[in-house]
Amino acid sequence: MTHDAFSRCHPAVNFLFFVAAIGCGMVIQHPAYILAGVVCGGVYFCLLSGRRGFARIGMLLPLPILTAVLNPLINHRGKAVLFLVMGKPYTLEALCYGLALGGIFLVMLLWFGCYSAVLTSDKFTSLFGSLIPSLSLLLVMVLRLIPAFTRKTKQVLDARRAIGMGAEQTGSLRQKLRSGMTVLSALTSWALEGSIITADSMRSRGYGCGKRTSFRLYRMTGRDWVLLILIGGLFSLVILAGGTDASYTPVMKAAPLGWGFPAYCALLLIPTIFELKEAAAWHISISKI
Amino acid sequence: MKKSTFFSLLVIFLLIPGTLLLGRSLPGRWYYLTATAIVVEIMLPFFAAFESRRPQARELVILAVMAALAAVSRVAFVFLPYFKPLTGIVMLTAVAFGPQAGFLTGAMAIFASNFFFSQGPWTPWQMFAYGIAGFLAGAVFHGRKKWQNPFVMAAFGFLAVLLIVGPLLDSCTVFTMLTTFTRESLLLIYGQGVPVNLMHGAGTAVTIAVLGKALLKKLSRLQTKYGMLEGNV
Repeated sequence: MTHDAFSRCHPAVNFLFFVAAIGCGMVIQHPAYILAGVVCGGVYFCLLSGRRGFARIGMLLPLPILTAVLNPLINHRGKAVLFLVMGKPYTLEALCYGLALGGIFLVMLLWFGCYSAVLTSDKFTSLFGSLIPSLSLLLVMVLRLIPAFTRKTKQVLDARRAIGMGAEQTGSLRQKLRSGMTVLSALTSWALEGSIITADSMRSRGYGCGKRTSFRLYRMTGRDWVLLILIGGLFSLVILAGGTDASYTPVMKAAPLGWGFPAYCALLLIPTIFELKEAAAWHISISKI
Repeated sequence: MKKSTFFSLLVIFLLIPGTLLLGRSLPGRWYYLTATAIVVEIMLPFFAAFESRRPQARELVILAVMAALAAVSRVAFVFLPYFKPLTGIVMLTAVAFGPQAGFLTGAMAIFASNFFFSQGPWTPWQMFAYGIAGFLAGAVFHGRKKWQNPFVMAAFGFLAVLLIVGPLLDSCTVFTMLTTFTRESLLLIYGQGVPVNLMHGAGTAVTIAVLGKALLKKLSRLQTKYGMLEGNV
């Protein structure tokens, strides 16, 4: 659970932001937009995950270089031939296209990293709980069962080891498989037995008769409405203003930047600015005491 | 006409062609967004059918348990890296409870387990691929007791993963990584996926062959004893 200011907004605000950021990031291949995406996404990712974020980004950075080097091996179009590889031209255009593609992938990974930290499962279900009640309930149950089953599996493994049946590390492939299947089988029996009890207790508490109400943790405030309108407005401005066209092969060309670009940067910086503003307000309020 | 049938028709004949038309007018990498949107749209009728049926508590719980089991199953094989029984368990669930339940189990299992790892551009593709694995197994084997031989099902599982589920998972890579859609570049990406898919298929086949009989017995006992998921799937 993160505690940055943007995460404390209404889930709808968070969701709309990520739809806009990831949607644009997926489609637009204009180099300036990709660079803006990498910078803004990277900054927010670091704000969310602190020092660990820097390490993660460091691990991801070779990715665009890798796609840049590999892409010309598949795509041979372009005029500026650098050299020949196995009789096929290795072109500068394809190299740049690969770099852009890696950049797009990096942008998406960064935003999805932020998404996972901000839009946690409880927010997801509270957002979609009234639209798809049964599926959200199913999701919540699965999410609760996964850690429970993992714990139980480890208990079964420990128990088998204690009675000398758990020589998995040294066993042959066949033994390992057999042993794993036995564990899985035991887990299944236990889980299915438990499921009957859960289902019966749900029924006895009145599941399925009448409309369900749900506890709401999040409430739309004035601030959330302002953010929602701001994100929606900037998102439509980016789409309508255009200037996002760019192509790499066979000829490199990019549309001149228009009003869409500052709007795009502003859109992507919303969570970062929001967090910095809150942090500044907090420090000022502390210094007044 | 049932409401969910009407909804599926609406999706197939209006929403998907509409997405294709609209997608073409987008600048840049329109094909990626369009392909992902269509994958999501194909899943909508399955979810809508489940939602409009207002599932009973028992049905809901059993699906949750099977999806969680499929997601956790990897833990039991800590000493066998690369061995993933998820697909096998999803398929066995589908054999017992039918194609629709199979689709939901597969899609939910991977969606939930991605909350513990990371959601990504691959999430919709994974949900669709594992959902289809369940759907196919359910469509072929559900209710046909004579066909439910572990080895027949294992062979089916292997082929389904190699030919359908694996390539679907690779398609996500195709749309993220490719700049030209020529035959050789497509062959390169799908070809690179073949060894991984072979491993995945083998794991699925082994899971079904070894676990199949026991798991199906447990599930059918549950069905006869408590009358779960009968008639409505």
